[in-house]
Amino acid sequence: MNVEIAGLTRRFGRTQAVAGVDLSAGPGVFGLLGPNGAGKTSLLRMMATVIPPSSGRLRLLGRDPGGYGPRREIRRRLGYLPQNLGYYPSFTVAEFVEYFALLKEMPSARVPAAVAAAIERTGLGDKARARLRTLSGGMLRRAGIAQAIVNEPELLLLDEPTAGLDPEQRVAFRALLRECGEHATVVVSTHLVEDVGAACSEVALMNQGRIVFHGTPAELIARADGTDAAGDAPLERGYSAVLAAARSAAGARA
Amino acid sequence: MNAFEARLEAELVRVVTERGEARARAWSRRPGLVERASGRLLRSPGLARALVTTPSLLLPWLIASAVVLGAGAAATLGTGRPLVALLAPAVAAAGIAYAYGPGIDPAWELSRSMAVSDRMVLLVRALGVFAVDAALGLAASAASGTAVGITFGWLVPMTAACALALAVATVARSANAGVAAGLAGWTIMVLSSQVADGQFTAAISNSALILPYLAFTAVCCVIALTATRAPRGTS
Repeated sequence: MNVEIAGLTRRFGRTQAVAGVDLSAGPGVFGLLGPNGAGKTSLLRMMATVIPPSSGRLRLLGRDPGGYGPRREIRRRLGYLPQNLGYYPSFTVAEFVEYFALLKEMPSARVPAAVAAAIERTGLGDKARARLRTLSGGMLRRAGIAQAIVNEPELLLLDEPTAGLDPEQRVAFRALLRECGEHATVVVSTHLVEDVGAACSEVALMNQGRIVFHGTPAELIARADGTDAAGDAPLERGYSAVLAAARSAAGARA
Repeated sequence: MNAFEARLEAELVRVVTERGEARARAWSRRPGLVERASGRLLRSPGLARALVTTPSLLLPWLIASAVVLGAGAAATLGTGRPLVALLAPAVAAAGIAYAYGPGIDPAWELSRSMAVSDRMVLLVRALGVFAVDAALGLAASAASGTAVGITFGWLVPMTAACALALAVATVARSANAGVAAGLAGWTIMVLSSQVADGQFTAAISNSALILPYLAFTAVCCVIALTATRAPRGTS
């Protein structure tokens, strides 16, 4: 398993963002669904080794990110797209992707070809020499995806990757996700259930810092059977049904 | 797969590979002399790239330079209080950490997930800021005598201290060891000059200065902790 999580928590002051998550994932595309404030971003940031957990066990690519050496090894094999992609406006797309390839400690000789391949795979070939400040939101998102995949990561973490992409770009992006998921573990946090249906082999649904569902998209759809859950698509109805059940269970506990 | 299909596939692979190589050649950037030399010395092309891009990140560089020059002005005023000079690097470091930290650096979150340690990146940022400011200080000194004091009393020695810190950090593979070496170098230099001037004992024995010194240290610590704190997520 590339991701092994047991009893993971994260507190920010008095707020419990992640409240005891157990999860494991091997190669494939793993969707992380949930409403705003569910704890998806905090969980992804811990998996990206950006913030440490408050408690619990986290192993990534068979290593413990708590130690400096293993964390560095994990980071060399990691691709991460944050929810709010920060970028240097004066960098070109190629310079931006190259900068992070070098910070991932890719061998220098491999960097130019890897940068070109990542830019081509995200469809930014004609914008490779454009400054980031001149790009649209969707193009910036694709530049972010390019830096995430430049090192052909074994663990790829994408937070809202399709935000700002048009329908055609989203279709192409899902194909890229499936391609990456053939050899790597890809964890995608999203609000868009259609992304999950089209690209993910497994899905987890978070609510109030906890995983309230973990299974396949078909199993999530089946959760709507016999309920009057709201939604325009089967996955949306499954999502609504699980969320409603989790909220009523939380209300009963309170 | 028959022979024709095999030949076709091989040809396709060749065309795609050649196209990729052509793109890589067209888009790749040839590192300059400073970057190539830094990459060899630091044993990390990533750190070398971070070093040479430091001044081009204009807003962080301006903020860091303002703090560095302010700290340098205090350190070179000749107050006869060596702790001011000893604490000045902490103020400068806090300013650089803030300017290139989560508050200002837009790519901080991404940098935190990189294999090259963010503390090492911060060390090269410090060297970058001091080196460029020292070069500007030398140019200003050549034009006017007013910049000589801060240039030779603060910017040039601190550039040397940062270079020492980075060298030790690279050899020891530890940013903390580098910071300790850099501070030790600066401390030895300040104390030696104070002892030579006979001002050190007078400043240390002045009990009225202890509270301001402690307050100043606490403020530096708070700035450094705030500047390097991981920002809270949105969900």
